[in-house]
Amino acid sequence: MSHDPWVWVAAILTLAVFSFLYRENPFYRVAEHLVVGVANGYFITAEYHQILKPGLIDLIARGQLNIELVLSVLGALLGLLYVMRFFPKASWLVRIPIAITLGYGSGYAIPRGMDASVLRQVGGTLVTPSDFTHFPALMAQAGQQLAHWRIDQALLSVLNAFGQPIIMLGAIATVAYFYFSSERKGILKPLSTAGIVFIMLGFGASFGYTVMARISLLIGRFQFLFRDWLGLIH
Amino acid sequence: MPDKPAATPGTRLTFWESMLRIPRQVVYLFIALAVIVPLFAPFVIRPTPSEPVVSLYNVIDSMPLERALVLSVDYTPDIEPELHPMTIVLLRHAFARRLKVGVLCLQIPGIGLADMAINQVVEEFNSRARTPQDSLRYGVDYIFWGFQTPLLTVLTGMGEDITKVFPVDANRTRTDSLPISREIRNYNNIGMVVSIAGSSLPLSWITYAQTVFGVKIGTGITAVSAADFYPYYSKTRQFSGLLAGMKGAAEYEQLVADGYPRSTAGLRRLATERMASQTTAHAAIMLLIIIGNVAFFATRKRKVKS
Amino acid sequence: MKRRLPLALVLIFGIWGILTFFLPHSVPQEIDSLFRNNTLRIMVVFALILGLSSLIRHHSEKIRRRREYYQYSWITLISLFITAVIGLFGGGLTPAHHGLLPTSIGGFSFHIATLYRYIIIPVQASMFAILAFFMASASYRAFRARNMAATVLLVAAFIVMLGSVPLSRQILDTLPGFAQFILDVPNTASKRGIAFGVGLGSIATSLKIILGIERGWLGGEK
Repeated sequence: MSHDPWVWVAAILTLAVFSFLYRENPFYRVAEHLVVGVANGYFITAEYHQILKPGLIDLIARGQLNIELVLSVLGALLGLLYVMRFFPKASWLVRIPIAITLGYGSGYAIPRGMDASVLRQVGGTLVTPSDFTHFPALMAQAGQQLAHWRIDQALLSVLNAFGQPIIMLGAIATVAYFYFSSERKGILKPLSTAGIVFIMLGFGASFGYTVMARISLLIGRFQFLFRDWLGLIH
Repeated sequence: MPDKPAATPGTRLTFWESMLRIPRQVVYLFIALAVIVPLFAPFVIRPTPSEPVVSLYNVIDSMPLERALVLSVDYTPDIEPELHPMTIVLLRHAFARRLKVGVLCLQIPGIGLADMAINQVVEEFNSRARTPQDSLRYGVDYIFWGFQTPLLTVLTGMGEDITKVFPVDANRTRTDSLPISREIRNYNNIGMVVSIAGSSLPLSWITYAQTVFGVKIGTGITAVSAADFYPYYSKTRQFSGLLAGMKGAAEYEQLVADGYPRSTAGLRRLATERMASQTTAHAAIMLLIIIGNVAFFATRKRKVKS
Repeated sequence: MKRRLPLALVLIFGIWGILTFFLPHSVPQEIDSLFRNNTLRIMVVFALILGLSSLIRHHSEKIRRRREYYQYSWITLISLFITAVIGLFGGGLTPAHHGLLPTSIGGFSFHIATLYRYIIIPVQASMFAILAFFMASASYRAFRARNMAATVLLVAAFIVMLGSVPLSRQILDTLPGFAQFILDVPNTASKRGIAFGVGLGSIATSLKIILGIERGWLGGEK
């Protein structure tokens, strides 16, 4: 068992949160409110020591008038406008720093987001001759695997051989599924049906991995309790 | 809506109807046991590295020594058990190769976690060092830049001059006074950035850093987000490699242990240790889903008959 | 003025943000760099004051009006104050730097890094860890193969779950391969399709904000 008082604090807080599984109770509420206070105190510390002090206070203290100092002070003045929110007559001034950060951030994201999230993704979806480089080898492999009655291996080889065309079809089918501007008839109907199959396969994959994620977090906490606190595992 | 058969007074419930009415605490206990028992009676697991993990390993393993590895520790304490092993194994790999390492945080809660990981791994290496030259020295072999905001400032500014983005490091030392800052000036001196995150921050690295400056980006992400990030690895290779959840961390630990047995001998492999519990818990969840579905169809059949 | 000035600013800075991508000349790049590294960075820090004051106001109000569970608000405010004092005057986030305030008595440390490690990490990690129980319970009660779509989802989830554990090779040696195929191909396809929509949608929203079509951020008052 640990003799470190802080390990005991951590263990008690862990058990307090776990007690929520039974029902909400005072121990859980204490832990919840405590972490909100401590976390916000941590935030204040980080923002002061990492940004405000080196980026503004130290610059002012140095007393050298340069463009960095002027722009930092300007940033501080604009930032102080956030506080105007608490003065009803002047509360509209809070829109100024919001407008600057929102406008700049939005404009910055447009061309870069278009490149990274749209154009390159479209490029990655299209079928090109290079996608069939391994096709003959994979199909030959599938043939050999079938000859040895390894149907599962043969199926996997064939699926991998046709991977890129399936991706392209799946992406188009998914987009077709979310197209609600016209009636689902003609080519749109089977395409939407294919789309839902691909979406369900994707969500199934996400669920499978979500299970792994949640269990990992639980394992970490139990390891702490049984090893670091109680010393029952070595 | 969960389907529980309505209990009519006087009617005896069948076995499957009883199964559907099990209190949730029984399910909780079942999962708890599935996780706890392997912690006391672990079985050996040897993970087989998957392609995205091998890809990330190969990039870092073949990086020229004059290029640095940058880790962006962007996860929060709530997902620490899943992602912290990744940070530790990546640091071990980089230090085993004697790559220069820079660590930064784009989120405040990541600062403490990054500090813990760096301290742990540096202590591991320095305790095995035979000469002072073998030891890892802060400001020479590695640097912890700390936290900065906003995202645009950091990701774009690192392409110009890192000391302007991080005027002081996490220890409040001026970064331009440290020798390593002469070697890691901007992305031109960085071989790869690995973003370890539980959010969409790795995508921001691609959007703002890779698109403009062409720097290689790798990622370690939670299993919850992993499925969403595969499009950025598959064919486009916007991510040069990808570690998905604890499984990805365990696979990477295996690769590093195989590649650098002397440097990593005797060191705890956090993710691999947990895979035994992971296996039994997965089996438990699948069993629950199967039982739930069998009970559902059995009771539905009974309702149709009656 | 109260609406026109912010709308003009969002347009000017929005266009500036777009232009920085297309203007490689050193003058606009240098101006952009100075703006980002100095003005923008300090502005964003002050947004923290807004969040913090909202938190303090909420809990103070709760105490003042003696609302339900108001006693717990004292815990939040006191712990916030103590942590901030320790952090601001105790040297910083890491123990490497000493400040005005001592952060240990004998061997007992109360540095902010210690508070982070033994209070923030356990509570936040535990809060997310208990989700595993809720997920298990929800899977047992609600995950049903009622129709074709749900069955496909269930089968895909099972294959991926099985493929995630190293022992799956003992069941069928191609199981990890099938799990990887599901992730690499149909999952990639569907997530890409969704990503196209999200990507184009967010670009459209950004344009609407810059051009002043989307004005929700201005708030209600005139």
